[in-house]
Amino acid sequence: MMLPAVISGFALGAVAPWVVRAVGARAHWLLAVLPAVLFVYFAGFLPGVAEGQVYRFATEWVPGLGVTLSFYVDGLALLFALLISGIGTFIVIYTGGYLHGHEQIGRFYVYLLSFMASMLGVVLADNAITLFVFWELTSLTSFLLIGFNHEESRSRRAAVQALIVTGGGGLALLAGLLLMGAVGGTLEISELMTQPEVLHGSPLYTAMVILVLAGAFSKSAQFPLHFWLPNAMEAPTPVSAYLHSSTMVKAGVYLVARMSPGLGGSELWFYALVIFGAVTMLTGALLALRQTDLKLVLAYTTVAGLGTLVMLIGLSAPLGYKAAAVFLITHALYKGCLFMSAGAVDHETGTRNPLELGGLRGAMPITFAAAALAGLSMSGIVPFIGFIGKEVMYEATLHLGPVGGVVLTIATIAGNALTIVAAGVVVLRPFFGERRKTPKHPHEAPVELYLGPCVLAGLGLLAGIAYPLTQDSLTAPMMGSMAGTMPDHRAAELYLWHGLKLPLFLSLLTLGLGIAGYVYWDRIRESLAATLRAIGWGPDLGYDQVIAGVEWLSFRQVRVQQTGYLRHYLIVTFTVFAAFVVWTLMTVGGGPSAFEMPAVRLTEWVALGLMVMGAGAATLVYSRIAAIAAIGVVGYAVALIFVMFSAPDLAFTQFMVETLTVVILVLVLMRVPLEVRAFRGLGARIRDAVISIAVGVVFTLVLMGVVQGDLDLRLSEYFAETSVPVAHGHNIVNVILVDFRALDTLGEIFVVTVAGLSTFALVRLALFKRKGGAGEGGGA
Amino acid sequence: MTYDLATIIPELFLVVAATVLLMLGVFRGQQSTQLVLGLSVVAVVVTLALVWLAPAERAAAFGGLYVHDGFAGFMKGLILTAAALCLVMSWRYIERENMARFEFPVLMLYATVGMLMMVSANDLISLYVGLELQNLSLYVIAAFRRDAIRSTESGLKYFILSSLSSGLLLYGASMVYGFAGTTSFGDLAAIFAQAQAAGETPSVGLVVGVVFVIAGLAFKVSAVPFHMWTPDVYEGAPTAVTAFFSTAPKTAAIALFVRVMMGPFGDLTAQWQQVLVAISILSMVLGAFAAINQRNIKRMMAYSSIGHVGYALIGLASGTEAGIRGLAVYMAIYLFMNIGTFAVILCMRQKDRMVEQIDDLRGLSRTHPMMALAMGIFMFSMAGIPPLAGFFGKIYVFLAAVEAELYTLAVIGVLSSVVAAFYYLRIVKLMYFDEPAEAFDTPFGREMSLVMGATGLITLLFFVFPNPIVDGAEAAAAALLAG
Repeated sequence: MMLPAVISGFALGAVAPWVVRAVGARAHWLLAVLPAVLFVYFAGFLPGVAEGQVYRFATEWVPGLGVTLSFYVDGLALLFALLISGIGTFIVIYTGGYLHGHEQIGRFYVYLLSFMASMLGVVLADNAITLFVFWELTSLTSFLLIGFNHEESRSRRAAVQALIVTGGGGLALLAGLLLMGAVGGTLEISELMTQPEVLHGSPLYTAMVILVLAGAFSKSAQFPLHFWLPNAMEAPTPVSAYLHSSTMVKAGVYLVARMSPGLGGSELWFYALVIFGAVTMLTGALLALRQTDLKLVLAYTTVAGLGTLVMLIGLSAPLGYKAAAVFLITHALYKGCLFMSAGAVDHETGTRNPLELGGLRGAMPITFAAAALAGLSMSGIVPFIGFIGKEVMYEATLHLGPVGGVVLTIATIAGNALTIVAAGVVVLRPFFGERRKTPKHPHEAPVELYLGPCVLAGLGLLAGIAYPLTQDSLTAPMMGSMAGTMPDHRAAELYLWHGLKLPLFLSLLTLGLGIAGYVYWDRIRESLAATLRAIGWGPDLGYDQVIAGVEWLSFRQVRVQQTGYLRHYLIVTFTVFAAFVVWTLMTVGGGPSAFEMPAVRLTEWVALGLMVMGAGAATLVYSRIAAIAAIGVVGYAVALIFVMFSAPDLAFTQFMVETLTVVILVLVLMRVPLEVRAFRGLGARIRDAVISIAVGVVFTLVLMGVVQGDLDLRLSEYFAETSVPVAHGHNIVNVILVDFRALDTLGEIFVVTVAGLSTFALVRLALFKRKGGAGEGGGA
Repeated sequence: MTYDLATIIPELFLVVAATVLLMLGVFRGQQSTQLVLGLSVVAVVVTLALVWLAPAERAAAFGGLYVHDGFAGFMKGLILTAAALCLVMSWRYIERENMARFEFPVLMLYATVGMLMMVSANDLISLYVGLELQNLSLYVIAAFRRDAIRSTESGLKYFILSSLSSGLLLYGASMVYGFAGTTSFGDLAAIFAQAQAAGETPSVGLVVGVVFVIAGLAFKVSAVPFHMWTPDVYEGAPTAVTAFFSTAPKTAAIALFVRVMMGPFGDLTAQWQQVLVAISILSMVLGAFAAINQRNIKRMMAYSSIGHVGYALIGLASGTEAGIRGLAVYMAIYLFMNIGTFAVILCMRQKDRMVEQIDDLRGLSRTHPMMALAMGIFMFSMAGIPPLAGFFGKIYVFLAAVEAELYTLAVIGVLSSVVAAFYYLRIVKLMYFDEPAEAFDTPFGREMSLVMGATGLITLLFFVFPNPIVDGAEAAAAALLAG
């Protein structure tokens, strides 16, 4: 049942263009039925999960690898699945209004529904490989969504950038998952998470954590990889709303939460998450205030929100988990709502610049109401869920102890205050104050555009008021997933009224700071802009530099190792080869053990001298013919050695081969210029000489080492013993040729004959052509 | 003897068919080219059927020189499939490119016979004979366009470097023979197993010989650092030939590599594993980095193939049954996506001339949407993005490496695929996002659409029906290690 639920999005996506064609402009109502049904289906798990039950569904998939299509429903997965399908429903409806009449809307639904299905797969998958498959599918489908307006170069860049960062991070995640699987002996995440001591005890633990976090941080836009997320705002607004509220960027948060019981608990985990999370929170919140585009303001607050979540999970304590669970819900609800209402404002007025907007509350009352509710939740006002979120957040950071707690609490206060300023920018600016002239004359948006914001904003309020329900069915089970065991009631408890305690005063302080910040927003924005201009460098630019650097590296190394000159290839081949052999000799411990000079006769000296002279001459002469002849001399000298060691047949063959080679080479080379210029400089000549000598020395060493070993003489002995009794011959070589290996000899004769015939054919052909005959080659 | 011949029926059939077709061409002249080509495809398909029908159990022939087992059967299936598809794809190509000579298909058949021999070689001598039969045919078809300077240059480079590597291999083989006293894989394996059991280290001569053989084989599979010929030859050779080079001979060379390493040298794993790990890492990294800057798509595919060989060699470096299974799955998937990509490249013609620049693919989604879709599938698959087939190929070898505790190898493999993904995805971006370049000449020919469609579907739907390939690979790996 789970598998069809997960992949139904792909199926519906595949037929969406035809649905659009058949139903027309109202297709979104029909298409939204699927996510709505899925939402209801997932909601059915709520009672069980609230009691701490988990559900597992598995189907056999890739044979022989232990890769199953397995899904796992617990508090964490269920909360995400509900957000994805629930918000997804409104996003589909919203798309129908936002892209009304767009000719490519069918294609958009394909991507959107596939994206939703991939995202469900990520949060429900139990098998690590299955998780990775869906993880990369979200990268892929979001790439298509971000690049939807591919006529614009900024869209294209943003899409590719998002894919490279998140897809690349995904591969790091794969490496991490494989290591975890190797150490834990299973690829099912639910089983891996029950054995933290095995994972922690492994020497690969650090590598695992780094690789898994690389995947999570790239996806969840943690500093310094946060740059792709604001750029992804090039996507149509429904995409931004969906990606930022409940999907895509939350996948990294999901992963960190999912891995928490197994990988969490170490110092590495704690510091990595808390430091990166806190830095991201502050960076995102600050940069949000610099923007003059509603979507960008929201995008940077998303970065801040993701940082907050990662930091809270990193605290690895029940309070942190509680704060993370509450904030996750808070953030999804208000961010989804605000993105959609910002899109509605853009749709109706034609601009997203808060400086050009004002006084829209009269023209767009419903959108305004939704945005206002969401803004209140975002600012953490009683009785919204945002208020509870902020309270538990402070509780969690304060709990950390004197030094760390204070630092982290101050950072969190700063982050939250800045977020309140941003809430003011997106809610107060456009809707209050004077009406300003906008490119389009604003009306209330169509129902598609405000339905989602209204429901989500209402839920934000409801989740706060009905906090016991939120706690029992959503946050407590999610805490259980992160901690590994269900929390007791006290640990999971949520309050609207917590008493006159420190967190409440901190909340009030935050609110005051936020209001002050909003009043001075213009000044803050300008000084931020000036500072950033002065720095003049950011990770986005860094991305371009890395890409350019990789291209440069690629260019350089190809230039060096792929010159196109055969001689360079030969140099590399010989060098590597010599190095290979030396390395082998060193590891195996071979090589000559002693350098004894064997007794060499005078005749042998002559042959050796000839060889050396021939080889030397070949390197020195500038005429091809002379070089060939010089190499021929080497060959003849070798043949002489054969003669001296009484192997006349071998010597004879060697003489023949040498003669033929020289003759044939000369014949061939008659057709090319015979004199060659000295094209190598002195440096190149020295390099070549060094390599040649090195290769020669290595081969000599090998040969000496080999000769000093025992030669296997069984074969020689066999022939020596058997040639007279079996073959009645006294010349062993002859006996081998005509008797023991008679068939081989026959084959050789056959080969020589065929070679002779073909030479004859070639010569005849050449003669025929010279006579001016129409060669048969021109037939085609 | 009759039993021996029964073992080599497929090879025998193919070599006879090739010779008959050669005679047909000689006597009927060049106008018979299309006929010869068509019959060549039939011959390859019949050979494939014969391989299919051959008994699965291990059968040795000619005094153990030659062996047919499940592993050989699987690899031969791949080689013959690749050969058949490449022959089909060159149907129109050789006509258009003025190289329609009957020798072309015949040489491809002879090369294929050589490959089948390589896969079944069970002795250093038969190994060399098969290798050279293949090589001699390939030298000629690389330089088949004698009038094109790039083609002749590539043929010459291939010839010189390949002969050098063959020389190294032969030298290594003779050293092995000198010190072990045998060239038979079975006897060699027994000798090494005995030495291993006795706790002796093999003699220097033997190990150096093995190193020579590895170097020679690394050249044949175009693994770094013996890869330099690949980009030049792939670019210079006629495109249909490049498609062939990058699939069938590569599969054969890899299969041979595996058989030699796991068979006779199987007990020397400690001696060669580090070398293979190094070769594999270098190939993956260099393949990924070097491809980024290529403007010519054939050159890019050359570097891509170097990278893929690196991934396949992960399986061999693992030295386990799971590793060999991974390698077999990888090669099967590689073959389909590579042939599909080359089918697209072969369709890249403007104004009746082949174009080879990557930029010529710009805006393909609008000029030829189906072709762009197919190419997109191949590129995503090569980049290893799930759920396409290429991803599973990688997963199989990565998991094998992790099981063999080669963690560094696995992690570097995964990370280098990030870099590799970069250039594959750039092609997707060009096709889907950029303004269209000039449209390609149509029609492409029905056979091209067929090849593209079939390979595209296999690549796309592998994740739904993985069993045929995976089960085959599993049986192949088991057969190899049992033998």
